[in-house]
Amino acid sequence: MAGARRQTASPDTVPPDSRGDTDDALLAVRAAEGDEDAFAVLVQRHAPALLGLAVRLLGSQAEGEDAVQDAFLSAWRRLPEFRGQASFGTWTYRIVTNRCLNVLRARRPAVPLEAAADVPAAEYSTSPARITEARDAVRELREALDLLSVEQRACWVLRELDGQSYEFIADAVGISQDAVRARVFRARRCLTQALGAWR
Amino acid sequence: MTAHTTTAPTALIKEVADTAEGVPGVAFLRPGVTDRLRSALSRPGPGTTGTPTAGVRMVRSDGDSPWCVEIHLVALRRTRALDVARAVRDAVEHHLLAVHPAQAAPRVTVTVTGRV
Amino acid sequence: MTDRTDPPNDTSAHGDDELLPCGRPLSQVWDDWERHPDDTHLHACPHCRDAVRGLDQLETAVRDLRNEEADSALDTTTLTRRVMDLVRLELRPGRPLPLGGPAEDLWVMEAVAARVLRAAVESVTGVRAGSCRLRDLRADETADGAMDQGVAVCLDIHAPAGVSIPYLAEQVRERLLEAADRELGMAIAAVDIRVTDLVPTPADGQEGGAR
Repeated sequence: MAGARRQTASPDTVPPDSRGDTDDALLAVRAAEGDEDAFAVLVQRHAPALLGLAVRLLGSQAEGEDAVQDAFLSAWRRLPEFRGQASFGTWTYRIVTNRCLNVLRARRPAVPLEAAADVPAAEYSTSPARITEARDAVRELREALDLLSVEQRACWVLRELDGQSYEFIADAVGISQDAVRARVFRARRCLTQALGAWR
Repeated sequence: MTAHTTTAPTALIKEVADTAEGVPGVAFLRPGVTDRLRSALSRPGPGTTGTPTAGVRMVRSDGDSPWCVEIHLVALRRTRALDVARAVRDAVEHHLLAVHPAQAAPRVTVTVTGRV
Repeated sequence: MTDRTDPPNDTSAHGDDELLPCGRPLSQVWDDWERHPDDTHLHACPHCRDAVRGLDQLETAVRDLRNEEADSALDTTTLTRRVMDLVRLELRPGRPLPLGGPAEDLWVMEAVAARVLRAAVESVTGVRAGSCRLRDLRADETADGAMDQGVAVCLDIHAPAGVSIPYLAEQVRERLLEAADRELGMAIAAVDIRVTDLVPTPADGQEGGAR
């Protein structure tokens, strides 16, 4: 039980302020047995972190909310089979990641992986004002994220914004750790070019 | 369930539903709340608006046999589930016997599906 | 930063890697920058410094992005309500269980009864209830006649450490039976209590001491 809790990699998966005195594992068991009040506590507890993840992955608040809603509904249906191999937080994190990957894939079926590498970098490097303005850099970063392929974006967001281990990401996205590393590398390369910081 | 069953007329089901819902301790009949939610979430189609008979099923095998009444309800938390269920059963039995004295005594099943 | 030992750099995994003029692949330079910041070549080589500066600037933007997000905390009240509205359309109430006497045709759904019983046993200090399954003994009557009446309960609890388990179990049983009678009106034939975890009491001040 303690091991399952430790697996919750992201520290904000369980916000300390909303921690009731009943732990996730017990609430998940109750919810699996049809106790929707127990599920409501879990939803309340994990919605902020999961919504943050979904918004980071999808770049849209509305789409993020839809993805989290779908993920929770799917979790409710699958709870009877959930045997607590992972913590509830990790389990739902994975469901949300998968849901977002599907949304991203459906959104841009035409963008080939290679397109991400061909960023018109020169255009970005010409304006020195941009480099000084942190907010501009953030905006550019957001825009540049749209240049990434689905898997690059997912792997990069989980790694850089959510601080997950390569092992965790490989599991969540369903690819090998080497493939995760390769995608994070490509994403970084694309993003540094897009930010005009190099080359 | 036999192959040939007759469902009670809507008016009679509504009488039973009203009787049950009027019993102290009954919050509402199930799936009444589901219907309300469903219509709140989606455009209510024809025939789905206001189903006062939701939560009541009433059938019999032929005109002479007694009614089999199934009632699903959500009880108030401060009440005892058994007491509410009994009161609903008694109220429905009394109502049917009072309104249709010639009929055979009905068989009433009550299920508590929630507490609020 | 990384939490595991990596195999030697596999450049083939990095598909469109490129070789810097100094002969090092870009992927390795970035990797070293993350994990071996003391590497002397990294600081001496102008090409590597250039490549790392790009990554550094990216990291700064990423940090700003994270901070921006932290400032605009997302409100999930509406989302939570929406999820629960949908969940309540798809309840899994379990099986019906008998209320009252054997001849009565009155029932309560398992999930409803379980919630009442869990709440009741949690009134015992330090006890937390997990799984609570109920079985109608009449439903699985045996060939030698239906002697058993009522409902059998299987309850999992987390118990406070340092408390006598038999004593605790007796208290839990009492509360459970009382609530089954007072709040439900259900005849309980048997109660099985399993202690699945011992939870340190706050006085112990230790996290996860008992497993």
